[in-house]
Amino acid sequence: MVALAPDEAEIPRRRRGRLALWSSVAVGVVVVALIALLATRDPSGTRLANSPLLGKFAPDVSGQSIIVSPDGSSVPTFELGDQEGRWVIVNFFATWCVPCQEEQDDLVTLVADHAEADDLRVVSIVFSDTAANVERYFAERGGDWPVIDDPDGQMITDWGVTAVPESYIVDPNGYVRAKITGGVTSQRIEQLLVDLGGAS
Amino acid sequence: MNAVLGSAGIALGFAASVLGVITLVVGIRRQRPQLLAAGRSFSTLILGGAVLATLAMERALVTHDFSLVFVADNGSRATPLLYAVASLWSALEGSIILWVLVLAGYIVAVRYRFRRQADDPLVSWALIVLFAASAFFFGLMLGPANPFETVAGAVPTDGPGPNPLLQNHPLMAIHPPFLYLGYVGFTVPYAFAVAALITGRVGEGWLSVTRRWTLLAWGALTVGIVLGAWWSYEVLGWGGFWAWDPVENSSFLPWLTGTAYLHSVMVQERRGMLRVWNLSLLIATYSLTILGTFLTRSGVLDSVHAFSESDIGPWLLAYFAVVVLVGVGLIGWRGDRLRAPGRIDSPLSREGAFLANNVLFAAFAFVVLLGTVFPLLIEAVRADRISVGTPYFNRMVGPIGLALLFMMAVAPALPWRRASGEVLAKRLFWPAWAGAGALVVAVLSGATGLGPLLAFGLGGFAVGSAVRQLVLAARASRRAGGSRWRGVTGRANGGMIVHIGVVIVAVAFVSATSYQTSRQVRLEEGESARVGGHTITYLGIERTETAQKAVTKARVQIDGGQVFTPAVSEFPNATQTIGTPSVDWGLRHDVYLTLQAVPTEEGGAAVIGVIVEPLVSWLWIGGLLMAVGTALSAWPGGRRRPTDPSTMWSASAGPEPEPATASSPDDPVAVG
Amino acid sequence: MYRRLGWIALAAVVGIALFVGTRPPEAPPTSTERADALAERIRCPTCRGQSVADSDAPASEFIREEIARQVEQGQSDQEIEDYLVSRYGDDVLLVPPRSGLASLVWVLPVVALVGAGAGLVVVFRRWGRAWVET
Repeated sequence: MVALAPDEAEIPRRRRGRLALWSSVAVGVVVVALIALLATRDPSGTRLANSPLLGKFAPDVSGQSIIVSPDGSSVPTFELGDQEGRWVIVNFFATWCVPCQEEQDDLVTLVADHAEADDLRVVSIVFSDTAANVERYFAERGGDWPVIDDPDGQMITDWGVTAVPESYIVDPNGYVRAKITGGVTSQRIEQLLVDLGGAS
Repeated sequence: MNAVLGSAGIALGFAASVLGVITLVVGIRRQRPQLLAAGRSFSTLILGGAVLATLAMERALVTHDFSLVFVADNGSRATPLLYAVASLWSALEGSIILWVLVLAGYIVAVRYRFRRQADDPLVSWALIVLFAASAFFFGLMLGPANPFETVAGAVPTDGPGPNPLLQNHPLMAIHPPFLYLGYVGFTVPYAFAVAALITGRVGEGWLSVTRRWTLLAWGALTVGIVLGAWWSYEVLGWGGFWAWDPVENSSFLPWLTGTAYLHSVMVQERRGMLRVWNLSLLIATYSLTILGTFLTRSGVLDSVHAFSESDIGPWLLAYFAVVVLVGVGLIGWRGDRLRAPGRIDSPLSREGAFLANNVLFAAFAFVVLLGTVFPLLIEAVRADRISVGTPYFNRMVGPIGLALLFMMAVAPALPWRRASGEVLAKRLFWPAWAGAGALVVAVLSGATGLGPLLAFGLGGFAVGSAVRQLVLAARASRRAGGSRWRGVTGRANGGMIVHIGVVIVAVAFVSATSYQTSRQVRLEEGESARVGGHTITYLGIERTETAQKAVTKARVQIDGGQVFTPAVSEFPNATQTIGTPSVDWGLRHDVYLTLQAVPTEEGGAAVIGVIVEPLVSWLWIGGLLMAVGTALSAWPGGRRRPTDPSTMWSASAGPEPEPATASSPDDPVAVG
Repeated sequence: MYRRLGWIALAAVVGIALFVGTRPPEAPPTSTERADALAERIRCPTCRGQSVADSDAPASEFIREEIARQVEQGQSDQEIEDYLVSRYGDDVLLVPPRSGLASLVWVLPVVALVGAGAGLVVVFRRWGRAWVET
């Protein structure tokens, strides 16, 4: 095998400029910045979308409830504007959604805990489901707060709902104060109410 | 048992990789051939480790060994054999086993290919880089992504099986392996680029070797991307095949820079120029594959194709940093000394065209990369988020794509060094008429819009140009006494076939996205609707239930002829239902049917989604042609057979080589 | 000579074909066409990468219906986009904004391409001069 001299030995050492050096420094800086950026990002899953509605006056929620409890105690119609002075939990749900099923108990507890003080109401809005399913679901799992069907999605888009369950906390003045994506627990809601200055 | 075997394989692979690196480095430093030989032999052990790990995992998957967390999470007794085997790459840990298996295969192939130049420091350095890469990926499985972790506590009796979307179509079994052959394959040219920079030998020798490895990886990546698009089309149910999704983009980025390299490397071979630029492209290509791997597996960006979140993100990011900084550092350190002298005489020349091609491909890659990471950039600076979606990419990439089609038409007709307008006018005359013909045909068949029409016209122009080359090559070959077959083999001619494939893909892409008709129709049993010139008749529902899934099929007749069955499947272990589209395949257009809503009561109305997409099936035909063209261009041509690389190196070690402009059978331009 | 005529004929054919093919449509877009075009530019909130037009997710269907409703009510495209942004946030738009910091995503590639093109021109000029001198 022939002994080989590296190419560079053969290239005349005339001045060639420093293009490669400067370009690689520039590329290096950009890449380091990119890496720093990527390294400091949280996984997208934990970044919850903030609703642009927070701090804004709540969009309207109104309609005929599809749940009528046997003793007739549930309110057949609901109007968010009539709830001034109370906290309102606006809950979007579907019977086919597992976390919704899991949070139902907690919502029942929450409503029971506040029944006496009457300082909190829950209203549920049906997300892509049938009235028959919803009636069966409430009969099985309890709950006698107003449940409003939204077949054309008017309220769903007004609230910017992306998937269920999603819950919003509306303060006694009618402003949206918090958005919870995923299932809620009564504890979490109570804590949020305290944080938001609505100690019960 | 499986866990022990598999872990042993991983440990073996890791140890062999690390020891291989150490032995080779010491061997080079002390110049001990025995040490170098010993170091090289570790490649066999690496392959052994990788094969052992793969076999152990496949055995566990096929025999339902739920004592492994990976099998318990991704396997199930109901999964058919094909998907059980393919489950290996349906989740993160297993996909890394596939990665090291492919990498080990490449390592052994490199060692075998260069067995006669084994003592050359350049080959040793390349092997060191390859060993280091395999040490990293084996290391991942020792640490954060251990596939052989065993279940704590009671062993489950069954598992959920792979994600339903991944067990819905056989393409899922072959698309990832091709993608990995491509991704991992770019490690080899990267290793040679680094080795060339370290040894300072960036002459023409190493690249005639690297070119073919790059071509192999590039061809596999092309097939992988096309199969991925096909899988999306067949499975996802929205009639689309490409969504500019972060994961798709990150497989496309190395393809773009790899394509740029495959063109600009020809300038280096002919004119000895652009050496450092070519090295930079190889480094960029491998870096982008790692960046893509990071983006898909770290959960930083959401995507349909993303793996579930895991802890290996920081590791991959660190590896990305090392890969880029080593490459960039070496170029900064040596690049200016290694740059080749020489200049391009005229922009109107083959090399000028390649330069323009490289600028366009670089811009293309820049747009795709920027669009992919831009939401992250904005979010880091401001609190709010923005999206960069399909409309952005189509708007930005459209003009670049048109410019590339134009270059594809003109460049093959350009001679090296300089061209006169007259020569060009003569050579491009018939190709240009082919373009005009394509344009007229498009207008007559009702195509509208400036962008699509330009794409069709320039596409026809480019095909004309490629066909002209192929005809000339075949003629020249026959005149020289060879067979006409020679006209399509070899780099230049195979490349022309790839060009035709690219044009077909581009035309299909434009036509399927610009002229699709999409409607949802609600039909009672026996009722018909007309969509995009077709009569769609809903006949009824068929239900089948197996242990694996419950399927509801709608029987839908198209134009009173064949009956198609778009379906919805429910998997017992998943909450989501998976739609299975049914496609009436055609060369003119596909009719793509989905079952949007199952009848609520027996015999009720169903909602059928109908999408008529013109020319969409040409995407797959074009992709196939690209693969065939790639294989043909890797076929040993009549010229520049990469003989013993060491002679090539010595040839290039002299003063700047000036390859003659003499014609050769493989160079039809000079002949015609 | 014949070749020159051939090129002139080619230019004429291409010109006529492009003229015919790019005439603006005679009728203004129907409501459905407008709604479809808008849906293409709105991101499906639950599935990254797809537009509302391409997605079958329930949220996408609701947004599609909302867009159709507002188009029927005579809202302008801008008003509908503003409404969706006020409910879902800025990232519901698939097309990044053309003003402010986010416009960089539009500007940077153009700057890079023009810069690279200018660089090539400069280099070729220099090479061209060197060629003449030697």
